[in-house]
Amino acid sequence: MTVVVLPGVPGAGGLYLRGAVSSGGLAIRRRVDRAPRDLPDVAYVVRGVRADPDRLTEFQHLLGESASDALPAGFVHALAFPVTIALMARPDFPLPVAGMVHLSNQVTQTRPLTLGEPFDVRATAADLRAHRTGTQVDLVTTVSTGDDIAWRGVSTYLARGLFLRGQGPDDRSTFDPPTPTGQWVLGADTGRRYAAVSGDHNPIHVSSLAAKAFGFPRAIAHGMYTASRALASVGPARGDAFDWSVSFAKPVLLPSTVNVRIAPSETGFSVAAWSSVPHLTGSVTPLA
Amino acid sequence: MARRTSTPTPSPRAAYVLGGNRIPFARAGGPYAHASNQDMLTATLDGLVARYGLQGERIGEVAAGAVLKHSRDFNLTRESVLGSALSPETPAYDVQMACATGLETVVSLSNKIRLGQLESAIAAGVDTTSDAPIAVSDRLRRALLDLSHARSTSQKLAALARIRPKDLAPSAPRTDEPRTQLSMGEHQALTTAQWGITQEAQDELALASHQRLAAAYDDGFFDDLVTPFRGLTRDANLRADSSLEKLASLRPVFGLGLDTPATMTAGNSTPLSDGASAVLLGSADWASSHGLTPLASVVDAEAAAVDFVHGVDGLLMAPTFAVPRLLARNGLTLADFDLVEIHEAFASTVLTILAAWESEEFGRSRLGLDGAFGSVDRAKLNVHGSSLAAGHPFAATGGRIVASVSKELHRRGPGTRALVSVCAAGGLGLTAILEAA
Repeated sequence: MTVVVLPGVPGAGGLYLRGAVSSGGLAIRRRVDRAPRDLPDVAYVVRGVRADPDRLTEFQHLLGESASDALPAGFVHALAFPVTIALMARPDFPLPVAGMVHLSNQVTQTRPLTLGEPFDVRATAADLRAHRTGTQVDLVTTVSTGDDIAWRGVSTYLARGLFLRGQGPDDRSTFDPPTPTGQWVLGADTGRRYAAVSGDHNPIHVSSLAAKAFGFPRAIAHGMYTASRALASVGPARGDAFDWSVSFAKPVLLPSTVNVRIAPSETGFSVAAWSSVPHLTGSVTPLA
Repeated sequence: MARRTSTPTPSPRAAYVLGGNRIPFARAGGPYAHASNQDMLTATLDGLVARYGLQGERIGEVAAGAVLKHSRDFNLTRESVLGSALSPETPAYDVQMACATGLETVVSLSNKIRLGQLESAIAAGVDTTSDAPIAVSDRLRRALLDLSHARSTSQKLAALARIRPKDLAPSAPRTDEPRTQLSMGEHQALTTAQWGITQEAQDELALASHQRLAAAYDDGFFDDLVTPFRGLTRDANLRADSSLEKLASLRPVFGLGLDTPATMTAGNSTPLSDGASAVLLGSADWASSHGLTPLASVVDAEAAAVDFVHGVDGLLMAPTFAVPRLLARNGLTLADFDLVEIHEAFASTVLTILAAWESEEFGRSRLGLDGAFGSVDRAKLNVHGSSLAAGHPFAATGGRIVASVSKELHRRGPGTRALVSVCAAGGLGLTAILEAA
């Protein structure tokens, strides 16, 4: 495997532009049947990443956490994810970054990372496979200090309408709305506010005009905002080590108010957010 | 030679409720609209002073609080004492425990009397939803604070440049729970649905509250408990002529988004209110040296809290856990009480608490008992009406209940006993036992 060491975490804004350019190039090459069909055998690495205290505080306050020196697992995702996007923006990446859909996200945190602690980020892509509506791929990101992996995330993305591995089975499940435990009142600026603290300025979250270009009636909330807010709502009962797993259903159009249920389950906590349609389901499971 | 003996912990002396005073409770935007918390608390203290001859008296301590309080009122109680006819050498401090604030001041001050730290005390509470503090937005606040910390002109300009027009919109205090963003009414609607409480049952409780409060006023029960203020002589929310038909005609306002019928209306929920109350507490010696008659003793108290954030229990259900613990410690059952005061945040709050106590399943799985905790005889419940009729200026409710129930205990005579329960925001509940003196 080729290892590409980047000098620092790239800015995600520029990466979306690069991703859009590479997506355009990919479309042209696809026409002449010279587009890549397999994942590049490459890992992107950035060493010595540190969290910024002001951004950490703003992230924690936006998500409803107290400003502690332990980095929320969703904040670690936000810090590390530009490295993954850099990998996806490579010309030999087989799926177009622009317009990809975040299907699900699994994070295993074995210990909390702390402010001031330097850590290494490593991103790879794996398991290009069929989906009912296109092709999906896992972006695997690990965050470690030395050999000790503190955080491992698997983000599953879908390129809709592009069938590189044939058509996958219909595995949609039905959603019966449970009794809510609360609600999230999400203002029109929810996407812009999360973009400011996460660095993820994907235009479909910050501008309704851009969202319309991708087929959404209005701007949509970041999936990771809803996932991180659900994790924050679980509270300290999640412990220092946990699995945090979410599936994204329909996007949350902004502004809106959604019902949520964050409640104890047999294994830990179940989380769900819905309005007239389901938006997010998942679980937070403390690790012994 | 010293002899080793095991002496049992001496039981503390009794702390007595000697009297109380409140101003009639007004509806938000009514006659107290321009009266501040400090205005109402001072007027209430002065009414107490006048009734019990406390002019110039140095009281041991005055504790009071308000749920909706401006940061400039950090010493609200002390400022009110300084503006009252009490001795300016009376110490005072602020307490805040959401809607349980008033009862908490009674509990903590009576404990100090029991321990011999104090001979006398005044427990009080006040709230205004009309004159509520309004804050600037977080973004404006942060920019202004950064501006005040800035040294150079360029830093100052940078702080100012961050302010956007929408940041100038004021932010009024909300009664939503911060962690769930649901209003108290929406939370109670979930609990109401869980326990299957009908609108009819809620309306019956609301009607009884109005009828009993009206009867108590007509009988003169409140003549030595209430001092008129700003033209009000009775609680403005009281509807003596209410009826089940009128109540049934009101449209539900909470729980409209649930898949069960919405049952909670403005008629069976408490309105936003303005008002204040105070309770005079003292030792037996202090009472007799001041020619005052002890009405009731404050025997014991228990607080509880529930995890409503994760839907384990309803937001206002903490008293269902506090009371069984309190009664177990005192070797009592619900049947041992002559009076039961359960604060009517909503009619359904009272009914869901009673339903939980009557539930075998709840008793076993949540209270760890062999079966149901017990039931309350409705004839003993809120005998002179409660918050549905009187209104509910948050921190003033505890003092209203304690003063009224102490007077009623004294009327009924020695050996009678009362249970007081107040639910509060944040999943809190505070309960207490009083006995006729």
